[in-house]
Amino acid sequence: MRSGVLAAAATFALTGAASAQDLRVTVAEYSSATGPYFEDVARAFEEQHEGANVQIEVVPWDVLLQKLTTDISGGSAPDLSIIGTRWLVDFVNEGIAAPLDEYMDDAFRSRFIEVFLEPSIMDGSTYGLPIAASARAMYYNRALFDEAGLDGPPDTWSELMEDADAISALGDDIAGFGLQGNQIETDVYFYYAFWAYGGELVEEDGTSGLDTEAGYQAAQLYRDLITAGATQPGVTGYSREDVQNLFKQGRVGMMITAPFLSNQIAEEAPDLDYGVAAIPAGPDGDRGTYGVTDSIIMFEGAQDKDVAWDFLDFLFQTEQRAEFTQNEGFLPVNQEVAEMPAFTDNADLAEFTALLPDARFAPVIPGWEEIAAITSNALQRVYLGDQEPKAALDAAASEINAILEN
Amino acid sequence: MRPGRTGSVVPRGLAPIALVLPGFVLAALIILWPVLQLGQISVSEVNRFGQIRGFVGLENYAAVLADPDFLASLLRTGIWTVGIVGGAIVVGLPVAIILHQDFYGRGIARVIVMLPWAVSITMTAIVWRWAMNGESGMLNSGLRGLGVLDTNVTWLAQASTAFPMQILIGILVTVPFTVTILLGGLSSISDDLYEAARLEGASTWQSFRRITVPLMKPFLNIAVVLNTIYVFNSFPIIWATTQGGPANSTDILVTYLYKLGFQFGRLGEASALSLLMFALLLALLVLYVALISRGEADR
Repeated sequence: MRSGVLAAAATFALTGAASAQDLRVTVAEYSSATGPYFEDVARAFEEQHEGANVQIEVVPWDVLLQKLTTDISGGSAPDLSIIGTRWLVDFVNEGIAAPLDEYMDDAFRSRFIEVFLEPSIMDGSTYGLPIAASARAMYYNRALFDEAGLDGPPDTWSELMEDADAISALGDDIAGFGLQGNQIETDVYFYYAFWAYGGELVEEDGTSGLDTEAGYQAAQLYRDLITAGATQPGVTGYSREDVQNLFKQGRVGMMITAPFLSNQIAEEAPDLDYGVAAIPAGPDGDRGTYGVTDSIIMFEGAQDKDVAWDFLDFLFQTEQRAEFTQNEGFLPVNQEVAEMPAFTDNADLAEFTALLPDARFAPVIPGWEEIAAITSNALQRVYLGDQEPKAALDAAASEINAILEN
Repeated sequence: MRPGRTGSVVPRGLAPIALVLPGFVLAALIILWPVLQLGQISVSEVNRFGQIRGFVGLENYAAVLADPDFLASLLRTGIWTVGIVGGAIVVGLPVAIILHQDFYGRGIARVIVMLPWAVSITMTAIVWRWAMNGESGMLNSGLRGLGVLDTNVTWLAQASTAFPMQILIGILVTVPFTVTILLGGLSSISDDLYEAARLEGASTWQSFRRITVPLMKPFLNIAVVLNTIYVFNSFPIIWATTQGGPANSTDILVTYLYKLGFQFGRLGEASALSLLMFALLLALLVLYVALISRGEADR
């Protein structure tokens, strides 16, 4: 009797393994629309592929890397997953991400806008497909600019400083420049000025570029904005979302952020009179925006790579991409999507796309997250007034150099 | 086997071992096995996905001990633990004594004091994070309304305001559990003792000093030990409010551990740190229990 049960269980387990068309996909939760969107795509894919069974797992951004780490070390990694492209180097070095070139033909490649596919290519192989892309530009509040008697957004950082002063003078509750000083991307908010002053995150000799004149000047600029009262008070308490909230309330004159703020404003503050402009230039005309892509990767341990690829192919068709890009307020990564009227007629997006030639991506370095954290900590000390820009950045640079040497 | 004879299936000397064995096996599975795994990872070179690449001896331990953030977090963990455990006793004891009195509406009062316990700590911390928002927080508008503040304070922008507030939140969420233990203790003290003391002319303060405090000692000790274990490793309050920032200035060991392991991917050092924390907590508790039992032996 008992052996009969065992045999039945064994058969069950075997058939379970045999129907290996199960495809596990981990996706990051960009907004409340992400989960339903991927569920719909999965169901549509299953209709076309008989026997395919796609399981979508939606994970919040904050814990995505932790979850993948745990899954990989426990040997239960999914077949496909969205990751931040800046993490990709670790996945490739450890042989966890599978190269996709054997599946890609020229027609598939040409679906993408070149600049967004590039960050996922390492040592000549493509390890990920850009699922989401964004760049940064400056949002400004037209009503506040009018009230302060200014004719338009500043074109350089020194103009920005004057404009921020003028707007801050409008009232106690109003700040000219919204400065992010807390949580994820605190460092990025600094790079906007750093790049404008001609800085490079990693110098040609492979060391950190923070301890250069560009770094000191950019940090001093932000410090001066804070001491002049041209930013919101207590910047180290403000994450990007907090500053965006102030902007939506009409209490901040300018801030630099990603295109998705337009979607949020349309939903939460439709009456706000705002515009989007380029990030101001430095004294020598340098300008830089931060380009970010997230990639969807295939794991080396994927059960059935062909089905996984079919799903990727399906996901990157124009119809699917257009819906996703519009839902989330990202920049189009597919050529055809970019040419659709919904995107070409969007004035906000046009500003972002115009900045793409100046876009810089996070350097492809193992340990980038830690370098970002060291930079953010140094900046917070400067913003709090605990340390002078030079001292803080020199210390951060020597810590970063120790990581870069490895 | 004949009834009435003292005897058992196992020989006498092995009986205690046989009785302890099931519990030991369970503890070994739940505690010892992960600790052994951690021990293995902590002396290895590990990649960021937890795959072991080689043996490095005590290098990971040396790296942790040499990190200035480790020492700063260690000191802060001390302040954090003593502040919350002490604060919870200081607040919890009077509350427990009041709730032990017979008064109209005591049932409702007890429920209200216990309620925060039913809410997840993470939720409590997130609500406080909103309340402490510099521009739109309830705390600022409340304090301004009362005339305590003239200008808004961005509570979470610097450690000098953020960390004390985090400790206060910690006390708030620790009080219900502490009160529960202390109420149990109070109800175990016989009323006869107080009655006798009153007949002898003892004041309320004298009854408290000479009867309540000595008899409550074992319960206070339980509260201290359990709260210390819990607070020392408490993650959600600090993570949900400041994530240990700005510039690591509100990190305690457990938030620092999380950053090491899951943000920076240095799993070897993170394992070493978590074993150090385990050893430290164990040593502290052994010391505390030893002090208590010596105190009791002296009496």
